[in-house]
Amino acid sequence: MDEILVEGSLTKVANRFGNMTSHIVYPESEEEVAMIVKEANKDGQKLSIVSGGTKLGYGGIKSDYDFTLSLKKLTGIVEHTAGDMTVTVKPGTTMQTLQHFLKQYNQMVPLDPAHSSASTIGGVVSANDSGPRRLKYGAARDHVIGMRVVYPDGKVIRTGGKVVKNVAGYDMNKLFIGAMGTLGVITEITLKLRPLPKYSSVVTLRVQDEALHDLKAFLTHIQDSMIEPVSLELLNPKLSKNLFQIEEYHLIIALEDVKKAVLFQEAWIDENKPTEAIMEVINHTEDFWITFNELTPNSQNDFQDTTSGVLKIGTTNMGVFPLLQECDRLNFEGNVEIFVHAGAGHGLSTLMISGLPENVVQSIRSIQTFSEEHGGYGIVKHLPLALRKQVNVWGQLKGPLTLMRGIKQKIDPKNTLNEQRFIGGI
Amino acid sequence: MLLARKKKEKIDPDILALSKIVGAKSILHHKEDLLSYDCDGFTIHKAMPKAVIFPKNTEEVAAAVKYCADHTIPFLARGAGTGLSGGAIPLNNEVIISLVKIKNLLSVDYENRKAVVQPGFVNLKLTNSISHKGYYYAPDPSSQYVCTIGGNVAENAGGAHCLKYGVTTNHILGLEVVLPDGEVIEISPNGVLDTPGYDVLGILTGSEGTLGIVTKIIVRILKNPESKKTVLAYFNRVEDGSQAVSDIISAGIIPAALEMMDQTAIEGVEAGAFPVGHPPDIEALLLIEVDGVAEGIAEQIEQILSVCENHHVRDVKVARDEEERGRWWANRKTGFGAMGAISPDYLVQDGVIPRSKLPEVLEEIRAINKKYNLRIANIFHAGDGNLHPLILFDSRIEGETEKALLAGTACLKACADAGGSITGEHGVGIEKKEEMRFIFSDDELEAQTAIRDVFNPDNLLNQGKLFPTPSKCMDIKKVVKPI
Repeated sequence: MDEILVEGSLTKVANRFGNMTSHIVYPESEEEVAMIVKEANKDGQKLSIVSGGTKLGYGGIKSDYDFTLSLKKLTGIVEHTAGDMTVTVKPGTTMQTLQHFLKQYNQMVPLDPAHSSASTIGGVVSANDSGPRRLKYGAARDHVIGMRVVYPDGKVIRTGGKVVKNVAGYDMNKLFIGAMGTLGVITEITLKLRPLPKYSSVVTLRVQDEALHDLKAFLTHIQDSMIEPVSLELLNPKLSKNLFQIEEYHLIIALEDVKKAVLFQEAWIDENKPTEAIMEVINHTEDFWITFNELTPNSQNDFQDTTSGVLKIGTTNMGVFPLLQECDRLNFEGNVEIFVHAGAGHGLSTLMISGLPENVVQSIRSIQTFSEEHGGYGIVKHLPLALRKQVNVWGQLKGPLTLMRGIKQKIDPKNTLNEQRFIGGI
Repeated sequence: MLLARKKKEKIDPDILALSKIVGAKSILHHKEDLLSYDCDGFTIHKAMPKAVIFPKNTEEVAAAVKYCADHTIPFLARGAGTGLSGGAIPLNNEVIISLVKIKNLLSVDYENRKAVVQPGFVNLKLTNSISHKGYYYAPDPSSQYVCTIGGNVAENAGGAHCLKYGVTTNHILGLEVVLPDGEVIEISPNGVLDTPGYDVLGILTGSEGTLGIVTKIIVRILKNPESKKTVLAYFNRVEDGSQAVSDIISAGIIPAALEMMDQTAIEGVEAGAFPVGHPPDIEALLLIEVDGVAEGIAEQIEQILSVCENHHVRDVKVARDEEERGRWWANRKTGFGAMGAISPDYLVQDGVIPRSKLPEVLEEIRAINKKYNLRIANIFHAGDGNLHPLILFDSRIEGETEKALLAGTACLKACADAGGSITGEHGVGIEKKEEMRFIFSDDELEAQTAIRDVFNPDNLLNQGKLFPTPSKCMDIKKVVKPI
């Protein structure tokens, strides 16, 4: 096991985003993870956990942990049975490596979170991260069927199993998915797979600002129709300019099926789209999604002078429209620039806000409040540590905090793992 | 009679207090009224409740729970009582809180694809209430015409179509829950995804009524696929049927349902209420349904037919119309009950195996069949490896019930040994408590009871379910350890 004191760029990352120390240990096996965690827990040491390091700006207001445990060396496919359509993988494996491996078998993990070349399955599961294709495929919580988790006391607990349908005991997988590493260290993950689509395309429809309401009517029409979009992502003009060099609203409709069915749906869209909308079809979908997934910054690549924050906003499906209008308003005011892709079919939107630090902070607060007033929430997914301390990263919680604190207290009473990384100071 | 009763009985103060909460007409407490609540769909084990109450709203549930908690009275929630693992059996003389009167569809929001239902609302009624708009609720347990969505949440119910669309947990967006101390909490009341915090929704779903009582449920509704096609295939050899299942999946097709029945099961369903004329001498039949955009269906059906041909299918056909499709499904969905036509009693089991292990596990089940000299029919969701061995027995013959239970356990052991699970959709309840040890270590069981302690610290809610009682060998192990 390597144990190093980092310098150079890693220190820069740690200083800027927190959640990481300059003292990093790199266990190479589950036994080593268990030993390290158990010792730390016994000695009252606090440790932060990092895998791909893309989410250091996500949650947490601390940088002064006793040390950092990195899962970078816990990588690789443990087991893959093509016929069962399941895979077991170690947490430090990047999404890209995992998908490349599965591609040989015409299979995939149906998750498309951002930064797939750097983000790891361990991090994605811990943050319950997802991407635009969530509309059809669901999130990490829908695909993870089993895990191995090292508890703070060093015990290794298996959750779920290796079969696709299983209700034996509590669904303990759910506890660790999206828990931001505050309950245990995940050392192995088993996932359900899907076949790679036989054919896919991405249809874009673009309209000018004033025709946004026509797009809304069309979205309702799509949802009531027979077509089965894989994503319905609505891009605001600013983000569209980055991606397509055209500053207009774009609706991205991804289609995946046998070729005949995809072409039929393209034709349906063409026939039913709002008259003023301009339609284009992208056939190189893989390249398109790679570009799309790198639209936002992460803690490995964000060293710009301007400050960027990334928000995850949850609303009802149609709640994305008032959100887009609010972002338009803020863009018009001109203190910050807001780039949005809004998931019209599932209500999860990603906002990137750039500008002067104080303006970014101010806009984050204002959008969080707006989302909460509309029955949703806003979470800061990426922001430098100094600014995270000025905002409420997880927003105003309305959920059952007492139960959540009880769970943390039961599993990690000494706050050994990722202390204060999560909601309500958990 | 009434007078005589009044004279004889000293009314229990708890009954009096509970009837004040729910009203005197909404409580049962006489022995003769309680008899039908001594078990659920798992009829082998019976126990009498202290009382059954029928609250009409969340407030009454919360008040009754608080009363029970304050007075250390064990209690549990019950829906339609169709559970197959004994989760609603009052082992500890519980007060049963029946949710059948809290049974409304509160709202449907098509634009945002969600509906809000109360726990006593019957599963199939939801689909029936929204089908005119082209929408449906995906989880479809075989008992869907009577089971309640509250019970579905407790059991994380599955169904024939969960291969493509997922089980209950994938369709629950929010909950209102009465905790075991009477506190009412709301989780994602607007049905917004990924509400920040631990996934309490995910932990509650499938907790078999041991963590809280669900009083409101926000569910996802789906649009009906444009087209559905159903294929029925008969195989002389079960191995060919199994191989066809694997090859369909390997061809990159995710059918909406992929069901299999063996020869004994076919004998049962053909003797039941919905016979369709399956030949009696085949070893396996497959019922395969694909759905989606119509334009893409024909190609998938062709592929499925050719896979079946490659595996020596005796006969294979596509349902001509909705009527024929409906008959095939009625025949399958009433499969458990149909066993009553060929056997006085039957025990349903619910193991899960990796799909690729199907032939080996079927072989083992045949050996169990021989060992215990009991017939075993197999009905399964072959697509996701969820086996339902139905052990046929006659409880009037002394010792046969015990033999059936042992054979059931042996089937689950075979599933666990193949890398599978002891339950895919029926839950652990009291039936499979001890079998939890086939798949979980003591530490892993403790990790789960630790979570129960957070929600249900006094363990008054549905006590004695889900987890094995500390066994003798565990005690011995503890004693032996220091040596």
